[in-house]
Formats: sequence, C-alpha cells, structure tokens
Amino acid sequence: MIKHLFKLIWNKKKQNFLLLSEIFISFMVIFGVFSFGVYAYKNYMAPMNIKYENVWVINYSNTLKTENADSLEMFYSSLKQNIQALPGVIEASYTSANFPYSTSMMNNGITYKGKQYFGVNNYRVDDDYLKTLGGNLIEGRWYRKADGAGKERVIVINKKLKDDVFGSGSAIGKYIDGNNSKDGRRVIGVVDDMKNFGDYQPAKYGMFERIDTSYRKWVGNMLVKVKPGADAAFEGKLYKTMANALKNSNIEIEHLDDKLSSTNKFTLVPLIILSIIAAFLIINVALGLFGVLWYNINKRRGEIGLRRAIGASGNSVSGQLVAESLILATLSLLIGSFFAAQFPLLNVFDLPAMVYVIALLMAVVFIYLLVFVCALYPGRQAANIYPAVALHEE
Amino acid sequence: MISLQNIEKVYRTDTIQTLALNNISLDVAKGEFLSIMGPSGCGKSTLLNIMGLLDVPSKGNISISNQQTHNMNDKQLAGFRNKKLGFIFQSYHLINDLQVIDNVELPLLYRDTTAKQRRELAAEALEKVGLSNRMKHFPTQLSGGQRQRVAIARAIVGRPEIILADEPTGNLDSVMGNEIMDILTGLNQNDGTTIVMVTHDENMARKTHRLVRLFDGSQVQ
Repeated sequence: MIKHLFKLIWNKKKQNFLLLSEIFISFMVIFGVFSFGVYAYKNYMAPMNIKYENVWVINYSNTLKTENADSLEMFYSSLKQNIQALPGVIEASYTSANFPYSTSMMNNGITYKGKQYFGVNNYRVDDDYLKTLGGNLIEGRWYRKADGAGKERVIVINKKLKDDVFGSGSAIGKYIDGNNSKDGRRVIGVVDDMKNFGDYQPAKYGMFERIDTSYRKWVGNMLVKVKPGADAAFEGKLYKTMANALKNSNIEIEHLDDKLSSTNKFTLVPLIILSIIAAFLIINVALGLFGVLWYNINKRRGEIGLRRAIGASGNSVSGQLVAESLILATLSLLIGSFFAAQFPLLNVFDLPAMVYVIALLMAVVFIYLLVFVCALYPGRQAANIYPAVALHEE
Repeated sequence: MISLQNIEKVYRTDTIQTLALNNISLDVAKGEFLSIMGPSGCGKSTLLNIMGLLDVPSKGNISISNQQTHNMNDKQLAGFRNKKLGFIFQSYHLINDLQVIDNVELPLLYRDTTAKQRRELAAEALEKVGLSNRMKHFPTQLSGGQRQRVAIARAIVGRPEIILADEPTGNLDSVMGNEIMDILTGLNQNDGTTIVMVTHDENMARKTHRLVRLFDGSQVQ
C-alpha cells in the first residue's frame, strides 16, 4: 500500500508541489525557532556560578584632580575600606565596566604556542572580586596583594578558555602571549565559567586581570555584596559615603538582580517575537493544510467512493488519507533536513552542533504531529462518505 | 446467488419522504446474466447499489452466496465486496493519476497479496479485455471504450462471483458498446460469472438471460 501511495503522490507531484513547499517552509521556520529555543534552554540549564543576589553596583566617575597613580591607589583603597566597614556590607570589589549583566564588553585575543584565540573577555578586577560574586576557583589561586608588587605578569582565566587552550591538562604555571616570564603572562588560577551575559547566554572566554595602579584611573565601578534585607535607607547611606568621598561625581547604584532581569529580557524578546511570528505561521500552515486536505477529499470523492466499493473500509480510507499526508510531510522533511543539516556542518550562527540536531528532531516530530492532526479530521470525514452517493455524484 | 426479499428504500428529508424502491423481491441464480431496465429515477441504480452492499435498504433482507448481509459491520462489508463483487460504472471511475495496470490492481491492494501476484493478476485481467498493450498508459490517454475495458479488468481482477454493472455502455457509441457487451457475455459464458446489469438500451438487455423492469420503484416485469 505504501508503494501505491508513493506512486499516487509522485504522479500528482504538480498538484502536491504547493503543499510540499508549505510544509518545507514551515519546517525551516520551526527548525530556526527550535534551534534558538534549545540554545536558550541549554544555556539556562548551565550553572550561573555568580551569586548575584544582594550584589549592588556603584557606578561613579573619577573626579579626582591628581594624576599621581600612587595617590589614586591610596585614595580608592581607603574608599573601599570605608565601604567594607559599613555595617550592611559583606564584601566589595572594584571592577571594570564589563561586570556581570552590564552592556559593556572588552574583548582581547590571546596566543598560546602560536595559536590565536579571539573574543576573550578581559575583566579588570581586584583581589575581592571572586568573593564578592561568589565565584568558584577550580584550579590554582585567585589574586592577592603580593601580585601587585611582583615583577611577573600573572593572569586568571575561566574554564572555557582553559579547556580550549590547554585541554584536559593543568593550565597553572603555563604562559600565554609569550613563552616565559619576560614577555608572557603566567596562569595562576582557573575559575568556573560565569554566565556574565544572563541566564540565556553561554559563558564565553574570559580572563581576569588585576587592577594595577596604572589602570586605576579608568575604573568606575564597584560591586558591593550587602547583607540580606539591605533597604533604601542603606542604599542612601552608601550613596552618601561615595558622594562625600567623590565630590561632583555622577554616582548611580544599581542592583545586579535587576540588571540580570533586563539582560534576560533583552535576550528573550527577539526569541518571543520570533516565536509569535512562528506561531502565526504555524496557524496559517495548519489552516492551509487543513484546507488543502479538505479540498483534496472533496475533489476525490469519486475515488473514495470507488475505493469503498472495491473493498476499502471507512477506516482504511481514513488511514490512507492520513498516510498520504504523512508521506508528503516525509518528502518535505527530507528536503528540509538536508538544508537544516547544513547549519551544523557550515557552523552557521556558531551554535553547538547538538543544538541543531535536537532542534531538527523536535521540528520533525512537530511537523509530523501538525500534519497528522490536520489530516485526521478530513480523513474521518472521508471515511464517512457514502460510497453510493459519491459514485453517483461522479 | 443473490436473493432480495421485500426490499424497500425510502429517502427522507425534513419535509419529504421518497419511496425509491417498493417491496422488491428478486432472486438471481448463479451464472445468470440479468438486466434491469426502467425510466430514469425509477430506482435501478438504487437497487444495484443495494445488491452491491453500497447502500442499505430501509426494509428487507439481502443474501449473497447464502450469506445474510444485514448484520455485517463496515469492515466485513468491505471485505465481502472485495472478494465477492466486481463493479463496473457508466463513468468508469478510473483514477487518472494511476497507470492502467495500477488501476486494475486496486481491488487487490485490499487483500493479502504480494506486489508480484497483483501485477500478474492485473496483467492477466488486462489480457482478457485485450488491453495488454496499454498497461503503462494513463486513463486520459485511452478512448471511452478502452477505459471501460480497463474498468472491466479491474472488476474481474479479484475473480469475483458477481459483477454489478451500472449502465456500462451508457457513455459509449454502439460499436464500443457492443464490444463491452461481448466481453461481459464472454465473462458470463466462459467463466460462469453472475452479472447484473442496469441499462437503458433494449438491444443490450436482449442479449442477457433475463430482464427485470422497474417503474416508480416497483418491479413491473
């Protein structure tokens, strides 16, 4: 019977072309939506490795007149100590503007054994950054005060960068951007990947550089971990402390959990818009499929009557029409899968291959279900066609 | 072979009730070639549909090959039609998207047969109606007479005991009509197939063993 149905569909290929195209386009759109959906879900499921609750960000502008780096260093160290000494503060750390969930980015490239790695996020941080954000050190150590005095340039990297650069072996003690202590930077620690760009974005390559005296004047952000229950009054106190120290500075306090929400929205909104468009398209396709199948059945009443007369039961007629629709879907899906397979092969959008594979399987199942549901009712109607009436109409 | 007892068929709408068949009792013997005649709308096709289990009577009993049919469900009726009955229609009812050989194979698709068996039986049936050289053609490439011969091949491919023909020569000129009639007569005489034929043509009816006339749903001869 399947061979017979294939033959029937093949001989009606011109009539079926529109339906095949419709299913193909729907599949590609669904595949696209599912790819982004699976990607977002996979990222969401990965651990954040940042304890962002009760972490505030103080954004300030450096209004000190002095150009002396040591004076600046002393001033900001003293300011940080004052902040840490406030009763509601647990920890504080200076950071560059690309702190978690901010919109700023600082990218560098690194080289290791002649191979270049691009798109490495460069975070300028101080000795208390990891504690303030609750990050996990998985190898080596984090920065300490003595690192500022040492002649050797040291660096802490994240796990993603370590895995790609150094593989499964240890990174500690190895040099990047050079082969020795003279021109390279020695890796002293590896931290767990932090999802700095929100719940739905993956952790990217990251390296953490200690803020030194020469960089101090460019720093304009401080992360402050406050005690649970810290309120607006405490926020006001924090503001005053900063304002008193930095006259005429533009000071703004934000909460990291609010920034996470807005970052998440920024990622999700395009996906939601795409999903809404896809949903409308699916409704259109479903109605189209339903209409075409309905039309086909009405056009084929004579054939259905004949099949009933020569031995087909109502159920087998219904089954045949559903099977025909599923075969048509299969043909479209074969073409669609060929195009979809190019995405991981050509590394389009730089998503992991597994995301595409899962999305492809989900899209195939979805299209089969859609076609099955759309064919079911017209199929049942066909089964109810009275053969004597259908044959008489012809 | 076919026994109809007190068959009555009433079509009902909200406002009108139409008596299409009124108390028809008819026996068709094994190997008989019976024709049914009557003016348009007298119930000939309705009677043939009831004999072919394509329609159900409002009253009365049908027995085919000594089997009562009123208790059969849809699946049983479909199987019964497939094995015992062959149908020929005035407008052929061929599937234009399938080749001649595939059209002829159709009834065998609903039986437990292999593709090879189907092909052999269909080729044999086409041989019988003289269309072996048209197997790969599509129905639209054939003349009316040839199409009806394909329909006959499809009706006989499953080797049914009974053929029900609803005006098989109605769309054909006299030459082609006679050709079709010769094939049907041959099937009846050589293979012993029981044939019931609805016709408007007295000349065709005269070639059959017995003539039944209907008028306003009642048997008048």
